[in-house]
Amino acid sequence: MNKTILTSAGGILLLIILIGGAVVLQSSVYFVDQGEQALVLQFGRPVGDAITEPGVHFKTPFIQEVRRYDKRLLSWDGDPNQIPTRGREFISIDTTARWRIVDPLRFLMSVRDETGAQARLDDIIDSSVRDNISSTELTEIVRSKDWEVTEEDLQKADVVEPKDEGAKLTDDIKMGRNTLTRKILEEASDGLPEQYGIELVDVRIKRLNYIPSVREQVFQRMISERQRIAAQFQSEGQGEASRISGDTSRQLADIRSEARRKAEVIRGEADAEATRIYNEAYAAGPEFYALLRTLESYSKTLSKQTELIISSDSDYFRVLRNMAP
Amino acid sequence: MNQYQQFPEIDFNAVKKGVGYFLIGVVLLLIFGGFRSMVFSVEPEGRAVIQRFGKVVDIKDPGLHFKLPLGIDTATFVPTERVLKEEFGFRTTVAAQRSQYAKTPQMQEESLMLSGDLNVIDVEWVVQYKINDPVKYLFAVREPSDTIRDISESVMRRIVGNKLGSEVLTVGRMAIADETLKDMRDILATYDMGVNIERIELQDVTPPEKVKPAFNEVNEARQQRERLVNEAEKNRNQIIPRARGEADQIIAEAEAYRFERTNAAKGEASRFTSLFSAYQESPEVTGRRLYLEMIDEVLPRLGRVIVMEEGGNAPLPLLDIGRNAGTGEKR
Repeated sequence: MNKTILTSAGGILLLIILIGGAVVLQSSVYFVDQGEQALVLQFGRPVGDAITEPGVHFKTPFIQEVRRYDKRLLSWDGDPNQIPTRGREFISIDTTARWRIVDPLRFLMSVRDETGAQARLDDIIDSSVRDNISSTELTEIVRSKDWEVTEEDLQKADVVEPKDEGAKLTDDIKMGRNTLTRKILEEASDGLPEQYGIELVDVRIKRLNYIPSVREQVFQRMISERQRIAAQFQSEGQGEASRISGDTSRQLADIRSEARRKAEVIRGEADAEATRIYNEAYAAGPEFYALLRTLESYSKTLSKQTELIISSDSDYFRVLRNMAP
Repeated sequence: MNQYQQFPEIDFNAVKKGVGYFLIGVVLLLIFGGFRSMVFSVEPEGRAVIQRFGKVVDIKDPGLHFKLPLGIDTATFVPTERVLKEEFGFRTTVAAQRSQYAKTPQMQEESLMLSGDLNVIDVEWVVQYKINDPVKYLFAVREPSDTIRDISESVMRRIVGNKLGSEVLTVGRMAIADETLKDMRDILATYDMGVNIERIELQDVTPPEKVKPAFNEVNEARQQRERLVNEAEKNRNQIIPRARGEADQIIAEAEAYRFERTNAAKGEASRFTSLFSAYQESPEVTGRRLYLEMIDEVLPRLGRVIVMEEGGNAPLPLLDIGRNAGTGEKR
């Protein structure tokens, strides 16, 4: 009998209750993920505060629905913008930002969803970027506050100082990239109405470059700069080589003439020394020297080609002559 | 039990049986499915974050673990031990010993940047990072790797923009990597996203493709300068030592002359002194002897000796001037 009741009407009833209970439970229980926050809406109107605590939560079944919003830090990536700087150079600038939904209630009321939020952020960040970039010199955007370049650095690095620019490479930077970025963030944050329920955490310049047509000109400038340096190296090399070979010639002449001078000095000394020695010896007997030297000279100068016509009255033949008669 | 009651009763039994089998099947399926989703393993290179109804309840180390089934617990694997990598300006397409790389125009845009002297430079780099807090990594930032990329591009451009182009291309690499690392760490610390930047590695740092030939020209010119100077110096090094040697030779020859000259003088002088002292003993005899010795030596080899009688004929008519030269040659 029990079996019959259980398996018949009672069983079916139990099944219906179970299924119905499951449906009600399913509709009244919801889970919030660790990285999420949620709003409960009743007929489209938010009920109570945002739920930020992850885990199991309950709501009135059927009439209430749950909207989920990310609690994490979200990315905003703008399209690259072409903006003239204060010095009228057109640059392409790509900014990136980080934001989060801090008040889902306000977020829902004002911008509805992330797509709406992105569109508002586009307007606010782009305008802040545009304002700041167009009122700043390019060098102030590219360089940072601690920029420090000395004349020696420039010399060492073969840098050619751009001539057409007002600012010099060695000038101090008044603002610099960091301060500029901070200003952009501050102005964008100020421009972001509190009712959006959005916190702008960070805005940064991701990419910064010349626009393509200007880039081409910059490439040409870089090329001509390099060619100038190359030409300088070339003429420096030739100049240095000439200097060395001139120096070589000078040294060569120096060495040779010095050697000749020394040799002449030595020869002169030698001649003087020899003369002194001769004088010293010959001074003792000048007449004998004259005799000896004359005789020596005769034997040197008279040869087989000499024809000697000599008087019989000469010293040599006098004996012959005097003896004869 | 009559026929009327029996028919529905049999029917009920069949329904009961069917429902029973169905329930048993469902329970078995649930048990099987539940068991399958209850056991999971965590790979050695990471950890798993366990969420119960969405709330983080545990972090599991590598190994085999149990969790509640039916979607009550979910496990998300986070590779905390792996070194993760973001590449800028290129992508590794095949990672091997001979890796292959790709570079598209879009990647080119990642790596082209302005240096402080407003030149364009192509800087390729790699950011290596590790996840040190899996929960923060999963739940602090929605797009962690995009965030790392954006910050790295921003920081790298700021650092390069604060240096001279030539410095970036040559000596500045280490400093750039260090400064970028420090800046990135500082910024990511404010995001508190559970990531630690381990290394920044600069890859190719080059001038833009179009400008490269001009840079090579400079290098060539620099080489040429060195070569010209070296050649001139080589020439000098060849000539000067030789000239010094020659100079020494000239001087040595002069020295030799000095020795010869003075020695000859000394020899002659001493010969004279000796002779003179001998001569002094009897000047008359010695003088005559020397005279006669000279005559002895000289007279025999003379061509012709004509002795003229004092007061006799003049000798000129006797002379045939050309004869002696002629005969002299014949002899």
